[in-house]
Amino acid sequence: MTDHNKKYERFNIARRLEHALLILSFSTLAVTGLVQKYALNSISIALISFMGGIETVRIIHRIAAITFFLEGVYHFILMAYLLYVKRKEATMIPGVKDGFDAFYELLHNLGLRKEAPKMPRYNYAEKMEYLAMIWGYFLMGLTGFMLWNPILTTRIFPGEFVPAAKVAHGLEAVLAVLAIILWHFYHVHIKHWNWSMFKGYLTRHEMVEEHGAELEKIEKGEPEPEIDPVVFKKRMKIFTPVSIVFSVIMVGLVVFLANYEETAITTVPRVYAEVDVFVPRTPTPFPTQIPTPTPDMMVANTWDGGIDFVFEQKCSLCHGESGGLSVKTYSGIIQGGNSGMAVIPGRPDESLIMQIQAPGNEHPGQFSDEELERVRIWIVNGARK
Amino acid sequence: MKRINLLNIGRILLLLTAIVLVFIILGMLNTPGKVVAQSEDDPQPQIDTTSNLYCLSCHAEAYNPVPLPSGESLFIQIDVTDFANSTHDRNDVTCVHCHQDISGFPHPIKTAQTLHEYQLQRDASCVECHEVQANQTKDSIHGQLLSQGDPNAPTCSNCHDPHAQPYMEELSKTEHSEVCANCHNGIYQEYANSVHGEAMIKDDNQDVPGCIDCHGVHTMADPRTAEFRNSSIYLCADCHTNAAIMDKYGLSTQVLDTYVADFHGTTVTLFEVSEPGQITNKAVCYDCHGIHNILSVNDPNKGLSIKQNMLVACQSCHPDATTNFPDTWLSHYIPDKDKYPIVYYVTLFYQILIPVVLGGMAIFVLSDAYRRLRMKFIKPKPVEVAVEGEEVIKHD
Repeated sequence: MTDHNKKYERFNIARRLEHALLILSFSTLAVTGLVQKYALNSISIALISFMGGIETVRIIHRIAAITFFLEGVYHFILMAYLLYVKRKEATMIPGVKDGFDAFYELLHNLGLRKEAPKMPRYNYAEKMEYLAMIWGYFLMGLTGFMLWNPILTTRIFPGEFVPAAKVAHGLEAVLAVLAIILWHFYHVHIKHWNWSMFKGYLTRHEMVEEHGAELEKIEKGEPEPEIDPVVFKKRMKIFTPVSIVFSVIMVGLVVFLANYEETAITTVPRVYAEVDVFVPRTPTPFPTQIPTPTPDMMVANTWDGGIDFVFEQKCSLCHGESGGLSVKTYSGIIQGGNSGMAVIPGRPDESLIMQIQAPGNEHPGQFSDEELERVRIWIVNGARK
Repeated sequence: MKRINLLNIGRILLLLTAIVLVFIILGMLNTPGKVVAQSEDDPQPQIDTTSNLYCLSCHAEAYNPVPLPSGESLFIQIDVTDFANSTHDRNDVTCVHCHQDISGFPHPIKTAQTLHEYQLQRDASCVECHEVQANQTKDSIHGQLLSQGDPNAPTCSNCHDPHAQPYMEELSKTEHSEVCANCHNGIYQEYANSVHGEAMIKDDNQDVPGCIDCHGVHTMADPRTAEFRNSSIYLCADCHTNAAIMDKYGLSTQVLDTYVADFHGTTVTLFEVSEPGQITNKAVCYDCHGIHNILSVNDPNKGLSIKQNMLVACQSCHPDATTNFPDTWLSHYIPDKDKYPIVYYVTLFYQILIPVVLGGMAIFVLSDAYRRLRMKFIKPKPVEVAVEGEEVIKHD
């Protein structure tokens, strides 16, 4: 008599915890990774802001990565224990039968074959997922740490490996996430909800459908071969130190890779910190004062030789050509103004200009002493043009 | 004869003084008679003392600057040709439109101690017509410095000589940039030697950016802020993604896309979008290419297409970088068989792997779903399913 409601233990609590840790780290990696790969998508932007900005997202991604990595290290040690010490069957290694199982199931699904294949403890679907996981673990670990330590990477490999690692890391992530959704979600959540990773067992119905070969084995009741305690001790003597050394190396490696490199400076030096922003042009672009001609008495002692300039500077503001005295031209000054002759050649004392410009007179546009002296000499010398 | 003339002048002066005195006394007795006194004082009452002609009769040739208490010179000469060509004169803006405190000679006494102070007082006149620009300037870095009392900060007239400012459209990029150079000559000299500046100054190339093309005219922002840094990539990209300009020089228009696709660009773009006030240490265009001293990538001394130069650029942020490091950056290229083949083939591998794996999975998943749906809806042949059959047997 077979109990239809009989439960078959599938995963013990440790394996279920492993799986929970994997769900946590993988989902975190997927979310924080994909928003980085598709960073400018509006959903990504919203998620990144929600998680506290891109720099925070990167830190979360790295924490999840370390969790994922260490979970893997634990898993490898566990596998070594089960396979080496306990000499369990390597139920995850695919064989020829799995190929046939897959093919027959496909035919069965299409209605081309009556019987569904009877599958072992881990069927082809699970083996495929497991191997993909192992492949992804190594590839993502390797490329991930390359991206984390680009300077270390380029000391060993050509520079191009870093962008190549980035492409591989991103696309492998896309593949992994889509495969999980399509394959894993379908097989354990959609086609029917599989509780074994939470409750730890499968029902008889599920066993029949998915692990027929294993069920037959269990029902045959073949006892597990006992391990001789002496042999067990011997194996443990090798396993214990090796696994300790391995885990120390792996933990050491992850600590090293997480801290090795300060890839970039953290504060940007201020732009133009050392260059003066305000550097006015010299000479100034404003109109400069017209330089006074050199007071060379012989050259300057004619109207055109500079006397005109003295008059233009000092007198022309008022004495233009609007009437009265004009200092604009030689003929104008010789002609004089309404008050009489401004300049009488050879006779400075009688020239009106010298009287008006006498020091202390405060006539607007007062000549300086030097200018007055030049004009006096000019008049003495005959006020030449 | 001359003596008589002289005597005449003395007499006239005496007479005038007497008349003035009489009027002053009368004025003191009555209401203040300013207008009367003035008109009597002025021997030529018909002249309009607020006309440009009146002003220019002195200022056209007023070569002597007015010394200010600070020792600076206030130049008061107006170049008539320049003024006639200025947008103000062409729009019949007269001297007294702006110099509202002046209505004739002598002028009111100036209160400004320095040239800067004088120009600031004058700026009040600009606002009356150019309010938009004046307000923009207030928000700009120049305005901020002015409000902090920086004597080197520019007033309106530092950039726009109100007596000579032509229409903006009539100025070339070089002339625009020369205005900035008056105060930022250090930067201008750097710019003049850059690939942009050289083309502009030597070849009068109007495609290259002058100062205001990147910094704006009145709106120039403080370039030291995070906002400026994060959005600076678009200053460059505006032209460098424009095929109409870039094709002329055989330059790539992929520079922004390839930058944004990379680690630096992704981060900076994200900062620009979501936290623009937060400064990022990820490189923007000018961190590698330079700011005002941008050179062609093929320049033998600084050009980034030469690996050693690129390494120097990398090392400014990644001090530990070694010779292979520059190749981690794809130099704005899209990888292909010849350029960055490893990246190209890795991409290709996944472009094949992903559809193959997912497609294979989809076949199994769909076939399984098909069987399940068929079992559910087409009941007639339940025996066909091994599971059901087995169960039936067990129940027996």
